[in-house]
Parts: sequence; C-alpha cells; structure tokens
Amino acid sequence: MKEFAAALYVEMSKALKSKMLWGTLIFFAFIAFMLGFMMLVAKHPEIAGNSAILSTKASFIAKADWHVFFGLMLQMALILGLVGPAIVTIWVFGREYSDRVIKDLLALPVSRVNIVLAKFVIAFTWSILLMSLLFVCALLAGLAVHLDGWSSELMLKNLRIYTVSSLLTILLFPVISLITCISRGYLLPVGVTILLLISTQFLFLGLPSITPYFPWAIPGLISGVSGPFSPKPEIISYVILGLTTILGIGGTVAWWRYADQH
Amino acid sequence: MDTVIRTENLSKLYGKLKAVDNVSINVSRGEIYGFLGLNGAGKTTTIRMLLGMIRSTSGAAYLNSVKVTPGNPAMWKDIGYLVEVPYSYPDLTVRENLDLVRRLRMIKYPGCVDLIIEKFNLGQYSDIIAKNLSLGNSQRLGLAKAMIHNPALLLLDEPANGLDPAGIVEIREMLKDLALNKGVTVFISSHILGEISKFATRIGIIHEGVLLHESSVSDMENQRKVCLRVKSKDIMGAGNILEKSGFATVLTDEGVLEIKDKEAVSYPEKISALLVNSGFPPSLIKVEEEDLEAFFLRVIKMKGGER
Repeated sequence: MKEFAAALYVEMSKALKSKMLWGTLIFFAFIAFMLGFMMLVAKHPEIAGNSAILSTKASFIAKADWHVFFGLMLQMALILGLVGPAIVTIWVFGREYSDRVIKDLLALPVSRVNIVLAKFVIAFTWSILLMSLLFVCALLAGLAVHLDGWSSELMLKNLRIYTVSSLLTILLFPVISLITCISRGYLLPVGVTILLLISTQFLFLGLPSITPYFPWAIPGLISGVSGPFSPKPEIISYVILGLTTILGIGGTVAWWRYADQH
Repeated sequence: MDTVIRTENLSKLYGKLKAVDNVSINVSRGEIYGFLGLNGAGKTTTIRMLLGMIRSTSGAAYLNSVKVTPGNPAMWKDIGYLVEVPYSYPDLTVRENLDLVRRLRMIKYPGCVDLIIEKFNLGQYSDIIAKNLSLGNSQRLGLAKAMIHNPALLLLDEPANGLDPAGIVEIREMLKDLALNKGVTVFISSHILGEISKFATRIGIIHEGVLLHESSVSDMENQRKVCLRVKSKDIMGAGNILEKSGFATVLTDEGVLEIKDKEAVSYPEKISALLVNSGFPPSLIKVEEEDLEAFFLRVIKMKGGER
C-alpha cells in the first residue's frame, strides 16, 4: 500500500505541475460556455449580426430552452466523454515515452504494476473532473442565459443520463492507454481515438443494429443518450463493455510487466 | 569475495541479430568493472537485461544472487542506474525531479534531496526546470537520481557523456571513493578504454555482442604490445643487419623498423651497439608501448588495431 501511495503521489505531482491539466480544464470550461453562448444567440438572433456562421449554427437549435440545452450537453458528453479521457490517458502514459523517462520507472522498489495503477487512478480522476466541470459550467451558462423551461426533475434526469454516459465512456480509456504504451508515443492513440469517434457516430447513423456490440457505442445505449429509437442494450453489451475495460487495464499492466522496454 | 553481478550465457536476439551473445560476467563486491565496446556492441542491451528492462532470449542474470525479473521490486532497493542519455521530466525543476525519485525510492528523509544536490554541485540549478539544463548538468542530474539513495550497486551506462574534463575527473574520483571506501560495486560502460582504465579494477570488452576479453587492469597492462622502433639513414641496411642477427623486423610506412623481440625491447642498448658497430648508427631508437586505443581496437579485431 505504501508503494501505491508513493506512486500515486508522484503521478499526482506530475499532473498538477503540468500545463496539460490546466489546459484541458480551460478547454472544457470554454466548450461549456460556448454552448451557453450558442443558446444566447438562438434566443437573441440579433447578437449574431452579420456573422453567417454564427447565425447558421444557432439556427440548428430549434428552441432556446433547457430541454434543448440538456440535449446539446448530452451530445457533448458522447463526443467529449470519448475524446477528453482519451487525450488525458494518452498524455499520462505517453509522456513517459515522449520525455524518454520511462526507464526511470522500471527498476524501482515501487513495482511497475503500482505505477500503472496509479496512472489509471490519475487519468480516471482527471477525466471525471473534466466531465463534471463541463456539466457545471454548462449549467451556469444556461442559468446565465435565462433559458426557459427549467425544472429540477429535468435537470436530475439529464444529470443521471450524463453521468452514466460519461462514466461508462471513461471506463473504456484503458484501451487507449494500452495502444499508447505499445506505440510508445502520441500519434497512433490519437489516430485511434479519432477513428473511434467517427466509427461510433457512423454506427449510430448507418448501422444502429451493431451498436449493442460496439464498446464505444454501448454507453450511449445504456445511458439513453442515443435516444428512444436506438437499439436497447443487451446482456452481451454489458459483458463487452466490461471485457473491453479489463482488456485495457490488464493489457497495459502486462505490457509494463512483460514487454521489453527500450 | 561476494559476487554482486553474475550473468550466465546471457543472450539477446533481435530476429537474426545477436545483440548479446552468451555473455558470462562475474563482478565482486567493491569492484569497478569497466564494460567496453563500440556503439552498438551490446553494452546497453546487457545493462538493460541486468535491470530487467528487457528479457534475455537465453541465459540469466543475477544481482546479489537474486535472479533478475521485472516482477521483483525489492531487488532494486540498493541499486542505482543510469541508462544511456539521462532524461528528466522537462517541466519540473531539478529539485522536483529529485524529490519524485526520492519518493519512488521510498526514502523518508526529504533532506537527501539537498544532500545529493550539494554532492553534484547542482545548487545553483536546483530551481531550474530540467529542459533548460545544459547537457553536462542534465548528466549530473541523471547521476544524482542514480545515487540519491546511496546504492550498494551502481549500473552506469556511459556516465561521462556530456561532462567536461573537470566533471569527468570529479565523477571518476567519486566512483573510486565509493568503491574503495564504501564497498560500492560499480558496473560502468564506456567506449573509451583510456578513461575507464584510470579507475576500473577490471575490464571486459564486448564486440558484436560477444565478450572478447576480460581481465584485471594490471593484466591488461601486461597484454599490451611493446616494440622497439628504430630509424637509421640506411634503413634497408639496418634491417638486413638486424634480420641476420635474428631479430624479426617490420618496416612501417613511416620508414621505421619495428622489432617485437622481447630481448630487443628489454635491452635496446644492445640493438643500438649492434647497429653502430655494423655501420648503420640509429637516428632513432625508442621502446614504444601499445596505447590503450590500439589495444582496444586490436582486441575487437578492427582494421587499424593491428600493429
């Protein structure tokens, strides 16, 4: 336990002293406030003035109320819930390779398994923080814009969907950490993340019958964020989701433990 | 004496390439073992296998009689290491980098960071972020990270890289002191025999993965070739006289006769007298010892190493 605590402290220090943590926090807060701004423009089209792009985007929003706003937030949860934790985990694991300090972590009284688990804890906590910040900031932005149709029930219902969707998507990030470690850098996992994002959207639009079997689509089905017309999750969906997480964690630990580290 | 490092037919293959080929080494407590080889000879691969960073294809490595496996963190407690170019977290200061190592080394005493900063003269750089350090100071930081826990065994891969001459002497004296006075075992790789021979007690020379030569430094001194170099106005005539007297000679491109005969090397005055009496007085007569670089190159059988 002392070993794990030491590894956790070190990983936390590295994260807190990095620009990446603060950069991602600012980015997520910015996205949330931009959502609020879009609602403001939808509510007051005169703000867009002559900006064609702004007015076009705002015109996608049917009605500037809380129901529509929460729908937007849930869409963001699907996209940023995948991209945010992926970027975090790519950085947490990938920096050891890009900064060429991985060898300093391999022959220590603290086991490699403890170091990997500490990294997972940091990446998970960081991802939760980002998703929480996105929700809180978006909520504040919505309140600031004075949207119509607020109710605590509506907020709690959407919070539940948002939380389940975000948490389940975050649980898939260990696969990205495994790809980061195998490729020993940033490029491949970033590429895979983009591919996953596109594939998930494509499956929902083009091949919805496959979504109960595709790990990155399953959180949307379980949480209900993908809407009432999407297929219902099956037992196998939960199994696939769990196995993907286990594969990611186990694979990353095994990679650190057994693979040659150059 | 206790054997601290032992490898048994340690080998590493990358496809068909034998990076390390059946290397067996024994290093005793308090020894400074110089592990020499050209770039790509297998030095770093051997050190990585000793540290459990890569798995051997065959054979085994033991540190303090414990078989090296990546899953045994307790064995690294008293071992410090530096592999290739020492990198540190670029956005953390020297002090922060060392404090992270302290925690991962499970050292409770925070003052050890100040002590190691002082030991490696990093005081004025302690609050500088690592990416702004010079190559020499990055190397010092790497060595400080390797030694922060006062290890009983040090595995150092080319630690003099990037250090200025004063820094090289400083590290050399520090390692000598650790080995002589504190019983620390040092396994140090390099491609500069002249530098290593100044403080190593034993050397091993590896080439293309094969351990070609292993000896104490004093034995190595005896194995270095010695020859007598003679120059005369009539070099051909002098050569004939020496050959007739039973001394095999080699005429070099520089027009100098080289005699490897032990008697000639031991008694150059006899050769001088012979040439003078035969009418071929020498303009140069000199006993020359093979330098370390030539010895190294001869051992690894490289062209130009033969004399």
